Amino acid sequence: MTLDLLRLLLTIALTGAGLVFYVAGTLGLLRFPDTFSRLHALTKADNLGLGLLALGLAFQAPGWAEVAKLALIWLLALLAAGTVAQLVARAALGRGAR
Amino acid sequence: MLPAILKRAGLFSAIWIMLTGAAPDALAFGAAAVAAAVWLSLRLLPPVGTVRLLRMLALVPGFLWGSLSGGLDVARRAFRPRPGLRPGWVTFPTRLGGGARAALGGELSLMPGTLAAGCSDGRLIVHVLDTGAGFDQAIAQEERRIASLSHRA
Repeated sequence: MTLDLLRLLLTIALTGAGLVFYVAGTLGLLRFPDTFSRLHALTKADNLGLGLLALGLAFQAPGWAEVAKLALIWLLALLAAGTVAQLVARAALGRGAR
Repeated sequence: MLPAILKRAGLFSAIWIMLTGAAPDALAFGAAAVAAAVWLSLRLLPPVGTVRLLRMLALVPGFLWGSLSGGLDVARRAFRPRPGLRPGWVTFPTRLGGGARAALGGELSLMPGTLAAGCSDGRLIVHVLDTGAGFDQAIAQEERRIASLSHRA
């Protein structure tokens, strides 16, 4: 029972922290002055937010297969984030953004 | 060529097994999907050398640490009344090409304060969030790490 409680608390703490980073990414997107700085905020904060979310949910997973799936989701989103950030930055630079 | 095919087949098989929870009735579809994925990946990203997968595992802790500090840094700035941004550009000469350069750019975009924005004349164009914080110091080290992942064939 106490182990379940510990897992629940870890899940709440980690997913809560993850949500804070999603808010930070959105705030950065709205507040930062130019396209590139906004990309920094969105990419890095959301990457960490999703990582914490996946880690928090992993403590509720019934088995290793679900943990592996959560890790895979984070890994694929990370690959996509790193790639898309570069592509958007390159396109913005090509269009003459500062 | 054969080592690349085997490695990629192993990687895609592992992904399939993770996705399906190793369900036995999905294995036949998995075999077909893995074969198609290997064929497509060889067309889109032909092997130029061997990628050292074990070496990649050794880089995971450093990458996680960089992700954490990168996320913390932008989050702090986003919440502060004055984010203290001094955005600017640096260029970094790199001998990496193709997939390795894309991997370096992607990694830099998740590390603190740096964002790759393409390449020109063999120089990686990097946007720096705060030119006074020394974020660009880490670029050379990241390049060495990525370069250490592949043996040129």
